[in-house]
Amino acid sequence: MTTYILRRLLTVIPTLLGVLLAVFLMVRLAPGDPAQLLAGEFATPETLADIRQRFGLDQPWYTQLGLYTLNVFRGDLGESVRTRKPVTYELSQYFPNTLRLTLGAMLVALLIGIPAGIIAAIRPGTIFDLLAMLGALIGVSMPVFWFGLMAILIFSVQLGWFPVAGTGTLRHLILPAITLGIGTAAILARMTRSAMLEVLSQDYIRTARAKGVAGRVVIFKHALRNALIPVVTIAGLQFGGLLEGAVITETVFAWPGIGQLLVGSILARDYPVVQGAVLLIAVAFILINLIVDLLYGAIDPRIRYD
Amino acid sequence: MTKPVANTSTPTRREPPRWRRRLLRSPLAITGFVFIGVFVLVAAFAPFISPYSPVEQNLRGTYVPPMRVELRGPQGQPGLWVREVSRTPLGQLEVGQELYPIRFFVRGEPWVWWGGLLRSDLHLFGVDGPIKFYLLGADEQGRDILSRLAHGAWISLSIGLIAVTIGLLVGVPVGLFSGYFGGTFDLITQRIVEVMLSFPGILLAIVLVATLGTGLTNVMIAVGIAAIPVYARLVRGSVLALRDREFVEASRALGSRDLRIMLRHILPNALSPIIVQSSLQMAVAILFAAGLGFLGLGARPPEPEWGLMLARGREYLATAPHVATFPGLAIMFVALGFNLLGDALRDALDPRALR
Repeated sequence: MTTYILRRLLTVIPTLLGVLLAVFLMVRLAPGDPAQLLAGEFATPETLADIRQRFGLDQPWYTQLGLYTLNVFRGDLGESVRTRKPVTYELSQYFPNTLRLTLGAMLVALLIGIPAGIIAAIRPGTIFDLLAMLGALIGVSMPVFWFGLMAILIFSVQLGWFPVAGTGTLRHLILPAITLGIGTAAILARMTRSAMLEVLSQDYIRTARAKGVAGRVVIFKHALRNALIPVVTIAGLQFGGLLEGAVITETVFAWPGIGQLLVGSILARDYPVVQGAVLLIAVAFILINLIVDLLYGAIDPRIRYD
Repeated sequence: MTKPVANTSTPTRREPPRWRRRLLRSPLAITGFVFIGVFVLVAAFAPFISPYSPVEQNLRGTYVPPMRVELRGPQGQPGLWVREVSRTPLGQLEVGQELYPIRFFVRGEPWVWWGGLLRSDLHLFGVDGPIKFYLLGADEQGRDILSRLAHGAWISLSIGLIAVTIGLLVGVPVGLFSGYFGGTFDLITQRIVEVMLSFPGILLAIVLVATLGTGLTNVMIAVGIAAIPVYARLVRGSVLALRDREFVEASRALGSRDLRIMLRHILPNALSPIIVQSSLQMAVAILFAAGLGFLGLGARPPEPEWGLMLARGREYLATAPHVATFPGLAIMFVALGFNLLGDALRDALDPRALR
């Protein structure tokens, strides 16, 4: 187990370095002078010279890469072109909101997806199954931004139950969390259903039924507990995927998170912030997947790492 | 050695393969086919289906809601009839008194399609009279939403096809080689795939667009590149499972070259998951492109791209909800079509796999 953890930790390092390289290349491969991109359109010659010096832009690319890596590990991601504040400061302002949104969305996904999958699995082929699975398919096909807009239209504009946009209270969180979570709920419903069907066809379920265990007990105690293992893993991996959906959901609801920061920065050509936001999302994604992977062994005692 | 036994079921030669029969019997597959069929037809004949040009503005038609079609004419005669709906200079909606008939296969604005291969002035339907007929309403510049949706279908179809082609052309060979040969090539490509997959979902496309710049061409490239790691992973996994099978060994023992083994023996056996993935990937590509358009990182105005149309509609959601509603429905039905087909293909090609 310990060797597995160590090995798994080691495999993350090349990926993290690769992500760093990709983010580094973003600015170098983009058309235009990297110094200009990092300093902004209206930078003074002094700022340009300062940027060139700080990021070593007049030096060969490997020195630049080394310098960039060093700066990242020191926590220096440069300065926002728009606000002239450190990128790390900007990220720290926006990231907690994204975290709150993704956590809310995950809660929504679990509360909708798992029950829907269970209902579909215990009555396969019935109208419940069909409705749940069709709903799940529509859930993965629906553009997040459109669902969000329709939710705003119905629940905010027409019914006035929730605020149209913004953040602060729990009421602000509900619509964005549902919007972001619905796609994941669909995936979890499908996963839960197939895992439950698989488990329900096992011999020990038949044995339990044969010895007269009540149906509900069989479903929840014998079947569900085993079926949930793969579902929990998928849920964990989907958590990283929610970060991606957050980019769009935040734009729909004007939710001041990292996604909105990213999109706004791309449109404003604020490259230092773009780099920082991309780096943060990718690193968060990698780390979440790592943690899920490691927890997997803890949840399922059958998994042995050797 | 046992003698070869005559097949008891004696299949006739003309019988279609079993997976095709399974596919055509599945209601989900049929639904998917219908959605995709309508989408492709609308995309292919967009100017014929749309009554107007997708960029033609009309100051008297801003935010005109979907028009009501009457089934009875002025004297009670049957048919399809509409009243003029227009906006007064003060911004009020004004509904005319007179009814005008809707006719099918009418002559109207001339159009050129497929780079000049197809020219005509025939339209599927049009109104007989000096008014504009907005079946799905008009947008902020008085442009016909139906016409824009039809032309947008062409954009979405192109993006989907080009992106999936890029993913296939690069991802499949990479997966094939890295799975078959292993070694350094495998190690390097797998690291690159891992890095690409570290940018979850649409984020990879966003990163690429941020680097390449916005615009439709770059969206196609970005969404295509985002599909590469998916295919590379998928094919590599299949190849690893097939590489040491007996029929591959047999072919190798007969002196086949590696390339021949890969193309003649391994690839055909790895085809099912590739086909399934391509259908699902079409849905993903279309959703990604629309997402980029919505964020303002994709198509640029006045392009009738669905995501962009939706983004414009967002600003006037309360007063003119139809502007955002229809492009969203279009995206959803197309993505649903490809997802349904992909699911049905998976069931048909591999009946053991549970959904």
